Amino acid sequence: MTTKLYVLDVDDFRPLAQVAAKDPDVTVVKRGPYYEVLAEAPFRIERNATGCRNAVWYSSVAAVAGGHITQWDKDFLAIEPTAGSAHEAAGSA
Amino acid sequence: MTLTHTVCGVDHAAFATFDPKATISFYRDVLGFPVVHATCALGWGPESHPDFIHFFFDIGHGDRLAFFYYFGVKPYVDNEIPELLRRARHLAIHVDTAEDLAEYRRRLDESDWTCELQVRHETVESIYVTDPNGYLIEFARPLRAITVEDDIDANFSADALMAVVDEDQPSLARFFQIKADLIAARYAGEAAEGAFV
Repeated sequence: MTTKLYVLDVDDFRPLAQVAAKDPDVTVVKRGPYYEVLAEAPFRIERNATGCRNAVWYSSVAAVAGGHITQWDKDFLAIEPTAGSAHEAAGSA
Repeated sequence: MTLTHTVCGVDHAAFATFDPKATISFYRDVLGFPVVHATCALGWGPESHPDFIHFFFDIGHGDRLAFFYYFGVKPYVDNEIPELLRRARHLAIHVDTAEDLAEYRRRLDESDWTCELQVRHETVESIYVTDPNGYLIEFARPLRAITVEDDIDANFSADALMAVVDEDQPSLARFFQIKADLIAARYAGEAAEGAFV
């Protein structure tokens, strides 16, 4: 299942999408006011590379479909595609 | 139908005080909030507290912070209130600049009610202090402008929140999923543009 991470296109959060786009296994498109970060495999975004300060980093995820957050700490935001039912897997994240 | 939106800010927010002396010292003499109105009510209140003073401080833009002092009423302290609620219920007063925020911090730090925390949130930088009544007061200055994109996102969040709390086990993971579905549905008819390519 394709993972879709939505990041709002404002100055604070844009670096997440820019950093994610450097991953060759990740595709980033613009969808309305959001960046849609698409991936078929687990991927992660390094906080240091984004330059986001604490509060911005921890408020940078707008939405996640088809996957779930497995790590969101001071170092990385990591997302894995959900196997099977999105509902069940997301609920157990 | 879009509802018209004609309200214009806070007329006043009111709280009870059992220590009007410290309250006036804190807001007027430490922070410099002018006292702009006081209602002195004799026998106006209900039987349990007929006499009271309702006094108001100007907090800018004509908005006011008000307190009730009830004569003859024993101070009430709720020691059972969870810390979560004590922190959640707070009044945030807006200042425009970093200089203004620093000035209010200076006034607090030179008083008996020193600043407890200064933090840069996502869109505001804030200082916090507990007033003489135990109420948490925040001063906040903007770190960036709120954009139309923020407003759109906030409305998706509101709709996703309303939906997720109807589920058996609301979670942030499910919230993100529901919100993603709402976003995808809203923009399904629009061609996605490549980004950073």
